[in-house]
Amino acid sequence: MLTHHFADPADPARVVVLGARGFVGGTLVAALENVGIPVLALGSADLDLAAEGAGSALAGRLQPEDSLVFLSALTPDKGRGIASYLANQRMGAAVAEAVERVTPAHLVYLSSDAVYPMTAGLVNEESPADCTDLYGVMHRARELMMAASCRAPLAVLRPTLIYGAADTHNSYGPNRLRRAARKDGRITLFGEGEETRDHILVDDAVALILRVLRHRSAGLLNLATGRSVSYRDLADKVAALFDTPVEVVGTSRQNPVTHRHFDVTALLRAFPGFAFTPLDEGLAKAHREMMAGA
Amino acid sequence: MTAPATGVLVIGFAGMTHLGVNSAAAAAARGFTTVGFDLDPARVAALARAELPVLEPGLPELFAEHGERLRFTADAAELGRCDVVYIACDVPTDDVGGSDLTPVRGLIATVVPTLRPDATLVVLCQVPPGFTRALGAELGRVDGSLIYQVETLIFGRAVERALHPERFIVGTADPARPLPAAFATFLGAFGCPILPMRYESAELAKISINMCLVAMISTANTLAELCERIGADWSEIAPSLKLDRRIGPYAYLQPGLGIAGGNLERDLATVCRLADEHGSDAGMVRSWIANSRHRRDWALRTVQERVVARVADPVFAVWGLAYKQDTHSTKNSPSLALLSGLGPFVVQAYDPAVAADPAFHPRIVGAADPLDACRGADALLVMTPWDAFRAVDPREIAAALRGREVIDPYGILDSAACRTVGLTHVTLGCGTDADET
Repeated sequence: MLTHHFADPADPARVVVLGARGFVGGTLVAALENVGIPVLALGSADLDLAAEGAGSALAGRLQPEDSLVFLSALTPDKGRGIASYLANQRMGAAVAEAVERVTPAHLVYLSSDAVYPMTAGLVNEESPADCTDLYGVMHRARELMMAASCRAPLAVLRPTLIYGAADTHNSYGPNRLRRAARKDGRITLFGEGEETRDHILVDDAVALILRVLRHRSAGLLNLATGRSVSYRDLADKVAALFDTPVEVVGTSRQNPVTHRHFDVTALLRAFPGFAFTPLDEGLAKAHREMMAGA
Repeated sequence: MTAPATGVLVIGFAGMTHLGVNSAAAAAARGFTTVGFDLDPARVAALARAELPVLEPGLPELFAEHGERLRFTADAAELGRCDVVYIACDVPTDDVGGSDLTPVRGLIATVVPTLRPDATLVVLCQVPPGFTRALGAELGRVDGSLIYQVETLIFGRAVERALHPERFIVGTADPARPLPAAFATFLGAFGCPILPMRYESAELAKISINMCLVAMISTANTLAELCERIGADWSEIAPSLKLDRRIGPYAYLQPGLGIAGGNLERDLATVCRLADEHGSDAGMVRSWIANSRHRRDWALRTVQERVVARVADPVFAVWGLAYKQDTHSTKNSPSLALLSGLGPFVVQAYDPAVAADPAFHPRIVGAADPLDACRGADALLVMTPWDAFRAVDPREIAAALRGREVIDPYGILDSAACRTVGLTHVTLGCGTDADET
């Protein structure tokens, strides 16, 4: 549940975005610039948070009036092992050190719904963060690190699967299905694609982050639409966007079917009237952008 | 010992609350001279004029018929003529269901010095297990003259429940000893079973009743939600369950918007606290609490999906602000929970007993009647199942509304009649209309 420090939205003095060259970061930076909010966009090329001395380097660039958005992470497609876990924790430790040295006006941490176990079919913000893999544990540990080190209002956002044409990850979701359809004319599902998941368009995720920044919100919020679909239905929707036939095929199932739905009541209360982009519309947009960028 | 006759006994009730007023009226109706005491002289004066502080079907008639045996006073000394005195004040609860026992202790401290030595003191308001025995030790009443009696007040059915109780659950220091004669005579006048038991059992019996009700409600709500998703209709299923002898015709199987009103939440919190203190498992109770919160917000999620996502700056008509029909209480009201999530939108509200208050919603507008609330609105939400709403013609609703959405969790309006006039009718436990787009 979020608490708004500003009942009426107000633009932050400056937003420092860590992970600014990534999928969500790039979209957020563009959105901030679009509405005229000053941004300091930092990617790993500008400041390697996993490197020695990163904490003090970041502190040197932080100002007390800044809103800091921490998006940097090695995502599971770049490795799920111990090395990735430790690198991610070094980044977390660096940010924790920086905000201890220079307290920003607001800290927003983009966590993940990976903190919830897949045994929970319906989750909300009160669901136990009972992580079952290192990626989830990493995010949960970072959440606690941020809470322990930052005296500013802290918003922890746990997004579901984010999709959009600019996504560089290749995890099992709309982006991978779309690329497979384009490349091979075929989408291959795990099993028959029975699993249900909630997919949020990156524009919507960023719009919500903007609201969090403008209200200087603190607390915990899941970023999800509240509507889940099966991978089979998702694949059919993606396939239908192509002019040429796309085959959707199943495979023999290797893992048990799991489902993930979100009760988004807390989000509706935090931001009444927020209207999510319908999945069909979002997929069509991502498809158009991908084709335009071909 | 010869039991005293009904006509000579005087029964006192301290605390002219919803519970106290209805219980006092029922005692008078059973032929007992009754004294109603309250610390608030204004409330006492109003009661003396038969101006009732609570809304309860049948209560005005009871006052009119038996008022000559009812006396109200703000002078505690008048309780000195009573054979039995009930403590019937409210026990406030906080946001997480914790009880504040300060008013009970305060009232007892006021009443006890006025009592005759042979009078029986009965704690009728709800107290946690262990309270009454500790009170007995504190007051030196370990001789059976201190009783805990389970109240089973239901808002909207308080008169019926007070006049015709299913049974009396009576907690005593020692259930092997007979009840005080005057108290036994009083209870006997109601003609129902009397179940004496030790204090702790009676205190937990009240909670146990409510836990069973919550279990049924939670089951109904869980399955009703599933019905909404798979195209089943809970209203078709529930009657078949009631014909099962193991479940029964009076089972609480009506789906609702979570648990409201305060009392059930208090008992849920008490069980969790006791279980934590004593190391027993309360996981299921915590699941009920989570399910209640989830279902409370059904209307908000439905509004988001069916209206907010489709209509820019919608206007909402809301029927009902009270937490249930036939009461003016708004404690934990699902309607107010909904309003708190409709921040930027105009809300046109009507409730027969609760006035629209800006504290409920910054853009609330009070309507003169149900149809007035509908005028120009994009959707109608029926949030309290008042009988008066059933009489409103769906044709008039359709004519008054700008939109077509009727979100009616309790199914107050007739689905077929709504559909006939072009309205989309969404109810709890039924997926049919909810799946229309």
